[in-house]
Amino acid sequence: MVDLKELQDKAKEVISRDDVRRLIGWQRGTYGFESAPIVVTDASDADKLIFDPTCVQNPASFITLEEKRPVPRGQEPDTRKVAVMVKGCDSRAIVQQLVEKAYPRENMIVMGMPCRGVIDRRKAAALFGDVTPDEVKLDGDKVVVSLNSETKELARGDILADKCMRCRYPNPLVSDELMTEEVEKWGADEFADVDEFEKMSPADKWKFWEEQFSKCIRCYSCRNVCPMCYCVECVVAKLKPQWTRRSTDISENAAYHVQRAWHLSGRCIECMECQRVCPVDIPIMTLNRKMTRDVKEMFDYEPGVDVEAEPLLACYNPQDPEDYIM
Amino acid sequence: MSEEFEPNIVAFLCNWCSYAGADLAGTSRTQYLPNIKIIRVMCSGRVNPLFLLNALQQGADGVLISGCHPGDCHYLEGNFYARRRFMLMHKLLEHVGVDPGRVNMSWVSASEGVKFKDVIEEVVTSVKEAGPMDQFRRRQLNW
Amino acid sequence: MGDYKFAKDKLAEVLSSLGDYQVFAPTPAGDVVRFLEVKDPAAVTLESANSTVPPKELMFPETETLFKYRLGDTGLDPSVPDASARRLVFGIRPCDAMAYTIVDNLFSWDFTDPYYLNRRENTTLVGFACGDPCANCFCPSMGGAPASEKGLDALMFDLGDTFYVKTLTDKGDAFAKAAGLDAAGDAESKAAEKQAEEALGKVKRSIDTAGIPEKLPSLYDHPFWEQFSDRCLSCGICTFLCPTCHCFDIQDEAEAFNARRARMWDTCMFAEYTVHTSGHNPRPTRKERTRNRISHKYSYFPEKFDVIACVGCGRCINNCPVNIDLLDILEKSKQAEGKEAKTA
Repeated sequence: MVDLKELQDKAKEVISRDDVRRLIGWQRGTYGFESAPIVVTDASDADKLIFDPTCVQNPASFITLEEKRPVPRGQEPDTRKVAVMVKGCDSRAIVQQLVEKAYPRENMIVMGMPCRGVIDRRKAAALFGDVTPDEVKLDGDKVVVSLNSETKELARGDILADKCMRCRYPNPLVSDELMTEEVEKWGADEFADVDEFEKMSPADKWKFWEEQFSKCIRCYSCRNVCPMCYCVECVVAKLKPQWTRRSTDISENAAYHVQRAWHLSGRCIECMECQRVCPVDIPIMTLNRKMTRDVKEMFDYEPGVDVEAEPLLACYNPQDPEDYIM
Repeated sequence: MSEEFEPNIVAFLCNWCSYAGADLAGTSRTQYLPNIKIIRVMCSGRVNPLFLLNALQQGADGVLISGCHPGDCHYLEGNFYARRRFMLMHKLLEHVGVDPGRVNMSWVSASEGVKFKDVIEEVVTSVKEAGPMDQFRRRQLNW
Repeated sequence: MGDYKFAKDKLAEVLSSLGDYQVFAPTPAGDVVRFLEVKDPAAVTLESANSTVPPKELMFPETETLFKYRLGDTGLDPSVPDASARRLVFGIRPCDAMAYTIVDNLFSWDFTDPYYLNRRENTTLVGFACGDPCANCFCPSMGGAPASEKGLDALMFDLGDTFYVKTLTDKGDAFAKAAGLDAAGDAESKAAEKQAEEALGKVKRSIDTAGIPEKLPSLYDHPFWEQFSDRCLSCGICTFLCPTCHCFDIQDEAEAFNARRARMWDTCMFAEYTVHTSGHNPRPTRKERTRNRISHKYSYFPEKFDVIACVGCGRCINNCPVNIDLLDILEKSKQAEGKEAKTA
């Protein structure tokens, strides 16, 4: 259990340092079970920080979202550090970004938050309706929601996100300091969801995806929220030449999603944010989970776990499988 | 009598081995099926899997990527990277419901003119079985 | 203009009798609701919350062919929708209908856009009053109401086991006639009035927009924008799901011998929205883009057209993945201290 006052004091300490420029964490949302990422630049904002089961977003995405402005002549670039609070799944993004040399390790101060799960807002809305709780916390095996001076206890599986029930990494894999004690792993992940999908015939698979991709409005929220999608110019935005057209034809929508899943193979760290943010409920992770499982099986590789590892597609093994190659 | 479906297959052949192998098939007057449209690249490692997607969008019914045998790459390692990439792309497309017979890969060396002919035959057969590609095809192509 | 009614269990029958029209109604698929053409009248329900994607896509589709051309053509053949077709949107909420009236300004301004305007002309809008506004709705602050009649041809009220229908225009009357609706009496219209009043009282959020359009330009350099833009993902959710946002890109899609010019939704939140051919981007970071979007909707648009480009539907608040709350931005803008607006 995180002591909020301790957390905020620690954050105040960090952001007040001369060599720290900003601190990324979570704050209370404006309605319902929402939380919002916050970038703290001044110690006075540190008491807005929270950490509870509503903290769904992945702060690692905001490290790479920050634009690099050109430095005016005569000025030096600001090389101060960035502090970031991360849960277990979020920390994998930092590890993978370090593997890909997105930024130097010395530039980051990672405040690790061992996590026992975050809530699924849809489940919360279905259970509670359009209300704003006073407090949401985890107590042992229960999720406790306080509302209008009443508390309701729920089984974790009833309100937590599906990803949390099979979490493989509840404790951060990289951190400079842990803000609370490590937690014991509770879930196992056999990729049963991927196995289930693979039972479908090719024709049924396409029928499924055609329906899903036809819904896509190409808002690119999945791409933008992803901590691993940080190319300055994404291939779908390229115009010279244009690979994927902007029209929301099934051909272009399918190509976009396949491209993105392809670019994430061996890189996706399964924070599942892409699927959460999709406004039209496309089960994007069905593609990414398949790649995660196959990458593990074929190449014995798991992204976002070992900072010393090489990126999957930047290395090879002379004994790599080649079962369909003639 | 309905016309038999003649697939349109785009083949990316590496310059040093597979393209030379195809050339040998030609100079030896080996008859091979005319369904493939060859694009010469310097190395199979140069082939971006997005080329596959784009080919399928533009009307190809199937694709073939062919390179040097592992260990024999003219640029030493290109085909190793290509192998990893296309193993993954193959799985991904299969997961989306694209018939696996559409995405093909082979190792054909410069002296394997006959193998090239055999590879083409196998590829054309598997794409014919898969039928005309409609899934990713740009609809405007039908205007 | 009259008062009509029909029993709730006759909903499918009413829809089936509209065979003369191409009917669109809210169609849920899981949690996502979208206005789709009605294929099975029995599957239509008005029980869900407002649609995720606004019905603006019925007038202004996400991707639309402007014209096609082939090698050898000597003329252009625009694919303009037929103004005399008969379409009907069944169950549109008052906020979305009001949104059409706002967007109409833009599409009949410097160029009368036949693609949008013909669809507006050929469509009958049968509205559905909100009995239970959602947590983030704020239509009264924007000049609307849960039972507002703006832009509608008819307005339905859910009175329990009956729907009361008030027709507002000739198109609305034509709909009532085609659907064979029974006449309603005083009881129904009084109940509807009561529901409208109660619903108004149930709206939880509000903002006083007085002074905001004039204030925003003076906040151009203010750092308060950063507390929102710092977490913005630069995606298109707020814009694509907004019933009044209307920006689009035009692209040619060419094959070997034929091509089409198409337009598709665009969003000022994308980094490449205003990229110049030279490569220069005048809105390089999310701060500029967030500031621009809010200023456009709440200052530049009302300056031109005397109406704020927002109807208070709450979709942007409900769907923003990082909880950027529009009402929060507007409140903070009122509190922030502005400077003299820059003059050219």
